[in-house]
Amino acid sequence: MANRTATDAKQIHGTNPQFLIEKIVRTRIWDSLYWKEKCFALTAETIIDRAVELNCVGGQYGNQRPTEFLCLTLKLLQLQPEKDIVRLYIQNEDYKYLRALGAFYLRLTGTSHEIYSYLEPLYADSRKLRRRLNSGAFELFHMDEFIDELLRSDRVCDTILPRLQRREVLEETGDLSGPRKSVLEDELDEEELEELERGSESEEGAVSEAEGRD
Amino acid sequence: AEEISALPTDVDDTDNIDEEAEFAAWKLRELLRIKRERAEKHAREQEKLDLERRRLMTDEEIARENQKLGKMTQKEKSQMR
Repeated sequence: MANRTATDAKQIHGTNPQFLIEKIVRTRIWDSLYWKEKCFALTAETIIDRAVELNCVGGQYGNQRPTEFLCLTLKLLQLQPEKDIVRLYIQNEDYKYLRALGAFYLRLTGTSHEIYSYLEPLYADSRKLRRRLNSGAFELFHMDEFIDELLRSDRVCDTILPRLQRREVLEETGDLSGPRKSVLEDELDEEELEELERGSESEEGAVSEAEGRD
Repeated sequence: AEEISALPTDVDDTDNIDEEAEFAAWKLRELLRIKRERAEKHAREQEKLDLERRRLMTDEEIARENQKLGKMTQKEKSQMR
């Protein structure tokens, strides 16, 4: 088994799912101690134990070493757990890093429709996450910001994300019903929004301040 | 592996230390996202309207507007090569 993709795995985006992680990174993961020691013979179920132990998200760090987060992502790509199981990873409330891992995996493998419908609710998750930067240092950010990156960036955790259809296109074709509904929408009145429009510049300053404080 | 785990994890990701501040920070992020989405929607609509408007114009009118907007005419463009 070792580094081969599960034989009954379906192709994702027209290719072997493991190829979604670039070859150079993939090779580094296969060479890493964590992969050899802790990822051997994992299944969709036992991988949860590893994901629960995660303490950060991130791509590569230090001397281009892959993070454990990335190793487990590759393991998921290799195992290709069923969609329902991935959904459970994402919907679990207790372990935020398992959720982050599930979200990242779904972003890599899911259809645009699935991605929007399962990841957008996580905008309401304000929990803190630790991210390992390229330098090896840690940075604090939040689940909703991670989801925002997944939905909007091209590259997250040193991995190129597959193309995601634009939301408004899916809305027009009727695949998604209506624009994203924020959990704040109900309590949000027009006044508050107008205030936001006016105070946008100062608010943006406040954001960076608030982030610095954390 | 020892080397990795020996590195200090220098930020604290414990939740609910200061619930109110954390919620306020999240709310601000969410509001800015809503604002961003509305701005994008607005920009899309504006572009659509503009497109419609230009489609209804005659060639001369388009040429005049292009001039006003400082867009180059076909002739000037070919001279630039």
